[in-house]
Amino acid sequence: MSATHPILRLESVSKHFGGLRVVEDLNLAVRRGVRTALIGPNGAGKTTVFNLITGVFPVDAGRILLDGVDITATSSHLRIGHGIARSFQNIRLMPHLSTLENVMVGQHCRNRGVRGVLQPVNLVPRNRWREAARAALVDAGLIEYERSTVGNLPYGVQKRIELVRALMAQPRLLLLDEPAAGLNPAETEALQAQLEKICIGGLTVLVVEHDMHFVGALCEDVIVLDFGRKIAEGSPEDIRRNPLVQEIYLGAPVAQPMERHSACSA
Amino acid sequence: MLGSIYAMVAVALTLSIGVLRFLNFSIPGLFMIGGMTAWASLRGGLPWWLAIGAALLAGAFASLVVERFTWRWMRGAQEFVPLVSSMAFLLLFEHLAVICWGSELRTLPPLFANADWRIAGLVISVPQLVGLVASIALIWALTLGLARTRLGRGLRTIAEDSDTALLLGVEINHIVPVVFLISGLFAALAGVIFALNYRQVQPFMGEMVGLKGISAMIVGGMGSVWGSIAGGLIIGVVEVMSIGYFGADFVDIAVYGLLLLILCVRPTGLFAAAFAGQRA
Amino acid sequence: MSGYLEGVLVLLAVNVVFAYGGFLPLAAGQLNLGLAGFAAIGAYSSAYLSNVFKLPPLIAIAFAGIVAGAVALIVAAPVLRTRGIYLALATFALGQIVQAIILNLEVVGGAAGYPVAAFIRLPAIAATATVVVALVWLLFATRFGIAVTAVHDDETVADLMGIDVRAFQVAAFALGSAIAGVGGGLYAHHFSFIEAQYFNISLSITIVLYVLLGGTQTVFGPLLGAAVFTLLPEVLRASANWRYVAFAAALIVLMALRPEGLVTGAQLRRLLGLARAQPRHAEVAAALPKEPSG
Repeated sequence: MSATHPILRLESVSKHFGGLRVVEDLNLAVRRGVRTALIGPNGAGKTTVFNLITGVFPVDAGRILLDGVDITATSSHLRIGHGIARSFQNIRLMPHLSTLENVMVGQHCRNRGVRGVLQPVNLVPRNRWREAARAALVDAGLIEYERSTVGNLPYGVQKRIELVRALMAQPRLLLLDEPAAGLNPAETEALQAQLEKICIGGLTVLVVEHDMHFVGALCEDVIVLDFGRKIAEGSPEDIRRNPLVQEIYLGAPVAQPMERHSACSA
Repeated sequence: MLGSIYAMVAVALTLSIGVLRFLNFSIPGLFMIGGMTAWASLRGGLPWWLAIGAALLAGAFASLVVERFTWRWMRGAQEFVPLVSSMAFLLLFEHLAVICWGSELRTLPPLFANADWRIAGLVISVPQLVGLVASIALIWALTLGLARTRLGRGLRTIAEDSDTALLLGVEINHIVPVVFLISGLFAALAGVIFALNYRQVQPFMGEMVGLKGISAMIVGGMGSVWGSIAGGLIIGVVEVMSIGYFGADFVDIAVYGLLLLILCVRPTGLFAAAFAGQRA
Repeated sequence: MSGYLEGVLVLLAVNVVFAYGGFLPLAAGQLNLGLAGFAAIGAYSSAYLSNVFKLPPLIAIAFAGIVAGAVALIVAAPVLRTRGIYLALATFALGQIVQAIILNLEVVGGAAGYPVAAFIRLPAIAATATVVVALVWLLFATRFGIAVTAVHDDETVADLMGIDVRAFQVAAFALGSAIAGVGGGLYAHHFSFIEAQYFNISLSITIVLYVLLGGTQTVFGPLLGAAVFTLLPEVLRASANWRYVAFAAALIVLMALRPEGLVTGAQLRRLLGLARAQPRHAEVAAALPKEPSG
């Protein structure tokens, strides 16, 4: 497979909720080793696309291919084993587990079967999985929170723990749902540095983000969704100049309800 | 007859589930409080109408105590917490009753000297008839009230979404006690009707009826008042039929088997919920 | 050792075993109100095995656990389709059905009860209870414990993290039922006589209350819950009914003040000195209103 062969491809994917067409005949490709942004106004279907890729919902029509393998019918808990890990728009850490244990949840897909499940991670002090999780926390600069209850930690720290958890699955494709939302500028910068560091290894990242500065600084490809359809794609520069995108984001020429756009400037 | 008692207990349960999404396990205890208080006041020499009043008052008061310690304190806590507390209240009520009145089976005096009407060969017991009519009338009044009154609208708003209700200015802390009050009254009244009909009460009388009431509520559909009544009647019919076909020993197997089957196949119950019921 | 003390300790050991039977499903987020049914299956099957096949009591009790676990595996498919309050009610119905079936099984005495010939004393019971507790603790020190807690906390995310949610739910349900079966077997072989009426909904509720009281987050919770509520009334030497009243009242107050049970995970980490001094941000977080969990 060549380096330009897309790692993820969605072919004519559609998803309806009741009568609402959230994703409509969507075709998109994510290039291997490239950081791609998925942007669009609120309600454009970005998170739904993530949920379809990870199998939270089945698609109504179309196919999802990971590295050429059709995973459309693969059940959701097996997809992470194919190399797709994700973070969540609202932090979804396990409140009753410590930081370290939350990170170890990310290793689960590499510990399937009875022997994997019975790994004595909290029994043997130098268990290799436990050590690996600790090392990841050290790398991320989060080791001081190792035994803390996650619910009490600041928002930015929780976001970074979620990122470490996703990385523990050793994914080929990392899906990040609004990683910078709710972070202050310093935290955003730290996150950006962390992401650039992990991408050196050739990890492919698909990120939903509203912060266009963040997207411009991090991503090489941008895909724009509106009403569940792809309306543009290209480099951040192209997208910024694209009149259709300007229309959607600035709203001036076409009469669109303003509230759909207000969040995009945030 | 037993069917209508199950139905009343089921209505008490379903109000709490339908509006608050809270399975109130203390309701069998309130049923018992109704029955036992009626007996105790009759023994104490009160006239029958005062005894019934005292029983209803006791049931309502106990229900408000339960509200105070389960739902109000623990709103937003873990899902099982109010349920567990209401179970604890059932234990509390039962054993307090044992301490007060002993655990023996107590017999009530017959209220009316000759309480049977004989019409064309049919023997109709007056207390049974009164009980049946009263329970149907009350349930009918309740559904009317839910549909027509301001309070009913408030309740239905809470059933939809308690946060939205709060935003809309529905005073949850005023309305929720009303739910407990009504369900407490229904449970206690069911206990009184039971006591007057079967003329026997004891501290654990609520368990059997309460468990059947829960079954009736599920069979009919949680949160639906008329569903509960249909469920109560279905459970009553299933009991009578299984006695007829298989013998008395198989009653519980038939009833709980039906319950399990419905829960697994159609957990929302046989009849769609009239309000709420979005928990499915 | 006086007969009284032995009686109390036997009760403690049996209650501890029951409590762990309730803990496993609760740790995975299931309220099993049919535990008494599985305890009954264990009690009757072990009694039958030792009465009819003359198996040594402890072996019969081990088989009791297997039988109860196997029954749980069979019924898990339909029962675990339901969730939350519906699951609690389905297991409740299941317990009632088991009780009603045993009442009609003449081969084990039906409503008249079933005498058990073999007898075991405190040492054997305490040893069995210790083994059960140790096994659960060991199990929860493995990835199993993390996965089950993850399923309890957030099924969707657990699933996306590659955890087979369904398999862990079934495993927790079946293992818990097996442990309840062992508890039933111990009970049968010490008290020498069992009747179906004992294994009623009150027993299921009491077991669940032990666990919720002690806390479902750590493996220490059930031990503490069962111990407190077996020993405290003995210390107070209250009459049976006052015991129940005190138990219920204490439970209501505890649920109001500490809805997560007596011991929580965070507290335990602090207690054992494992947590470092709380990170500096924690003060800020503590000042904010606490989000309700679950």
